[in-house]
Amino acid sequence: MAYQLYRNTTLGNSLQESLDELIQSQQITPQVALQVLLQFDKAINSALAQRVRNRVNFRGSLNTYRFCDNVWTFVLNDVEFREVTELVKVDKVKIVACDGKNTGSNTAE
Amino acid sequence: MERRAEAPPPQGLDFTVENVEKALHQLYYDPNIENKNLAQKWLMQAQVSPQAWHFSWLLLNMDKVPEIQYFGASALHIKISRYWNDIPADQYETLKSQLFTHITRFASGSKIVLTRLCVALASLALSMMPEAWPCAVADMVRMFQAEDSNVDGRARCLALLELLTVLPEEFQTSRLPQYRKGQVRSVLAQECGSVFPLLEQLLQQQDSPGFIKQKVLKCFSSWVQLEIPLMDCENLIQAAFTSLRDPELFDTAVEAVVNAISQPDAQRYVNTLLKLIPPVLGLQEQLRQAVQSGDMETSHGICRIAVALGENHSRALLDQVEHWQSFLALVNMIMFCTGIPGHYPVNETTSSLTLTFWYTLQDDILSFEPDKQAVYQQVYRPVYFQLVDVLLHKAQFPSDEEYGFWSSDEKEQFRIYRVDISDTLMYVYEMLGAELLSSLYDKLGRLLTNTEQPSTWQHTEALLYGFQSIAETIDVNYSDVVPGLIGLIPRISISNVQLADTVMFTIGALSEWLADHPVMINNVLPLVLQALGNPELSISSVSTLKKICRECKYDLPPYAANIVAVSQEVLMKQIHKTSQCMWLMQALGFLLSALQVEEILKNLHSLITPYIQQLEKLADETPNPSNKLAIIHILGLLSNLFTTLDISHHDDDHESTEVKKLPVQQGPNPVVVVLQQVFQLIQKVLSKWMNDAQVVESVCAIFEKSVKTLLDDFAPMVPQLCEMLGQMYSTIPQASAIDLTRQLVHIFAHEPAHFPPIKALFLLVTSVTLTLFQQGPRDHPDIVDSFMQLLAQALKRKPDLFLCSNLDVKAVFQCGVLSLKFPEAPTVKASCGFFTELLPRCGEIAPVGQVVHENGKVLLQAVLEGVGGQASRSLMDHFAEILFALNKHCFSYLSVWIKEAMQEDGFPSARVSPEQKETFSQQILRERVNKRRVKEMVKEFTLLCRGLHGTEYTADY
Repeated sequence: MAYQLYRNTTLGNSLQESLDELIQSQQITPQVALQVLLQFDKAINSALAQRVRNRVNFRGSLNTYRFCDNVWTFVLNDVEFREVTELVKVDKVKIVACDGKNTGSNTAE
Repeated sequence: MERRAEAPPPQGLDFTVENVEKALHQLYYDPNIENKNLAQKWLMQAQVSPQAWHFSWLLLNMDKVPEIQYFGASALHIKISRYWNDIPADQYETLKSQLFTHITRFASGSKIVLTRLCVALASLALSMMPEAWPCAVADMVRMFQAEDSNVDGRARCLALLELLTVLPEEFQTSRLPQYRKGQVRSVLAQECGSVFPLLEQLLQQQDSPGFIKQKVLKCFSSWVQLEIPLMDCENLIQAAFTSLRDPELFDTAVEAVVNAISQPDAQRYVNTLLKLIPPVLGLQEQLRQAVQSGDMETSHGICRIAVALGENHSRALLDQVEHWQSFLALVNMIMFCTGIPGHYPVNETTSSLTLTFWYTLQDDILSFEPDKQAVYQQVYRPVYFQLVDVLLHKAQFPSDEEYGFWSSDEKEQFRIYRVDISDTLMYVYEMLGAELLSSLYDKLGRLLTNTEQPSTWQHTEALLYGFQSIAETIDVNYSDVVPGLIGLIPRISISNVQLADTVMFTIGALSEWLADHPVMINNVLPLVLQALGNPELSISSVSTLKKICRECKYDLPPYAANIVAVSQEVLMKQIHKTSQCMWLMQALGFLLSALQVEEILKNLHSLITPYIQQLEKLADETPNPSNKLAIIHILGLLSNLFTTLDISHHDDDHESTEVKKLPVQQGPNPVVVVLQQVFQLIQKVLSKWMNDAQVVESVCAIFEKSVKTLLDDFAPMVPQLCEMLGQMYSTIPQASAIDLTRQLVHIFAHEPAHFPPIKALFLLVTSVTLTLFQQGPRDHPDIVDSFMQLLAQALKRKPDLFLCSNLDVKAVFQCGVLSLKFPEAPTVKASCGFFTELLPRCGEIAPVGQVVHENGKVLLQAVLEGVGGQASRSLMDHFAEILFALNKHCFSYLSVWIKEAMQEDGFPSARVSPEQKETFSQQILRERVNKRRVKEMVKEFTLLCRGLHGTEYTADY
């Protein structure tokens, strides 16, 4: 099963908005909408795992961390993000991370 | 002759065989798409109707065409899987025997109908087992093996294999309740005792034809996913290994072995896993031959098997200390796959499969306790050093000639592959440590100093790439080989763009090290400045210069004149694209920040004078698209320069730079001096381009960036900037002007000296925007968005602004309510933010209190409309904030308003009943402390209003 955390992105929100509209105008059923959403989870997980190789480095001091239900959460203070040319400084960052190995590749098509 | 379209089936038509056949005919052959759709809809109803139990059997008659038979079989499957409870228990047996009869009949008939019938029987078996049908699988095997049937044996065998293959698949997708799922899974797993011997027998029989064996392997693949103990699969896995020699069976056999090895439970059967190592190693000869003959499919398949065993079970196998040699042999086999000859992705695609294995193995080794780890390190450090060599070999570019033939897609895949290698190397550094850098350095040194055998540029590039991969993310400050490496860089004969790029990126990766060892800057800076003149190295050289200027600015003053001169030259020659020019300006901003004020001014003067002159000329011209681009370019250069030109050092965190810091300057900031000098010119440009959003945005950007860097130092500019913004905004309202106003309010509104001009600007912007609202704001959601943010900022930083007698608070309030109904989510969010800031001020600012008390009901109605389904679901938290604020600050009013509003029939949605509305109102009014609770209530209510409540689709909302 693919992670659902990308539903709360601009793309995911827009998709859900469209699906909501289609359900409310009775053009599709909530079951169909759910299938579309699950397909979205699968597609975005695999696309981010397979097609993106951009890298951003960052460092900061670790304030809190936890590992619960296979989800890592890190809260960092005074973080510097370095991309090829940009450096961005942020006071506080929360990182939510899941194991990328579990997505995309091992789902049977 | 054109065929006349048949009439679509009327909705009320009976679900009979004839009507179904007619509808199917329409679905397949009617040229009219609407008729097709109608037929499809009707057939879907037919499939789930009670009559389907009757007509589906008739549709399966042998004299029908396969399309019709298929529909019959499919309808049966749907009825059995979804309407199981409709079937009386006393009819199970009849249904079962009817299905068996039909499957036998279709064993030599249409393949798609056979599969559907098998799926239907599988579904029946899953619903009946274990109580109603205790030995379902054994029964199936027995039924099809019965000799008395008049169907040919081979066809029966294929039908049985089909049935046995779809059974576990149907289980995986079935909608059995959770408790049943576990129960059925364990029954199925036990029943493998009836299936596996049959499969073994069929695989081992010499006279079994290939297609039967293929079916057997597929069936096995399907069964292993039921968490069957690995040792029970052993014989079949061994048989699958044997099948790998048969080219016809190779792919299916690979699939079966990989599936069996990869099941999560397999790690519990270490002895069986150990027994699997020899057959995997036994594939090496076949692998070598495949590699030699360029048979990519075979090498890929064998590699998948080796990696599946290594990746899934490295920990379990590493733990078997007495078998260390056989595991090491497996690791070496995977190493062979990593280093498979040829270039990725043109000659091979196998090597990339192995990269994750190396992470896993390393993780497992490093997770042992120290004593044990030391032993493993002894064995595996040399392996990982070899891996580095192999990876760097694979990362090498092909010959220029070959590379020229690659498609852009292949080049992109190769780039991605190199990034994956780079990530692996970075990770391997964790295990090998500083010794890895020394080894890379030694190799590079030998390569560059060997005069007898000239090296290829590809080899040098790969070594540097490895170095850069590590230095980019890992702190190499304590490495003793970096000085040597920097010494080597000038010896590299840069004959090629890729090599030059990598040299640049390597220098960039070392910029932090250079900041700690400034004496070495001179060794590399000339190279970077030289590369700056080469358009092919644009990205790498400019980004490297920017990194150096950012990290080493306090050590660059001696080189400043030279850097500025070279940069100016390349800017004038227009060597770089726009975005690189912008980066270059940022680099210069960093560089200048560390100079004395008079030096800064001198450099700024020479740097920007040519642009100022150009801008003066452009300002005189009649506006046209090409001079617009030129103007935006120049304005962009200035904003980027001012983004990084910061003499205050307020955010420097270099520990050792204290001594180098310049004393804070007295007198005006050089950026302010320049801004004041160009102010008139900017006004002149604006006067001609006031209508153009992009030019206005670029002008605003200059001030926005400067304010951000200068903060209080910007103060002298506040009055004139306020005046200019006022003029701009009253001529043509633009969102960027409001955003800049908001920033000024944020930074300067609370300072008495600056309050008068800011207040005047705020009032002007408000009054112009209110006029815009009167004319119809729908064309300007961006302006409305920025305006709402400005209002919220004003309330936050300087609520006094709402006390001004000439601020029409009521009109502002009404605009906010209108904005809540915009379709653009960011605009709605901004207006929610405005109300969330406004409502708490009810008590302290009299005009606000009055307006809210008089007009609050309209606001509440707008909020409820949004919650009722008019606004996007993602905005509900923001609407909840308004409700919470209303309840907290206007409780007595809210209780009346909400009652009145909810009384209206069908408001806010026809889907909610008066009781549900009442419950929601009560809940909201009761909760005055916990905002999270209010958000939950709003979410629940909005789902009810949208008819989405209780659906699985919104279960995670």
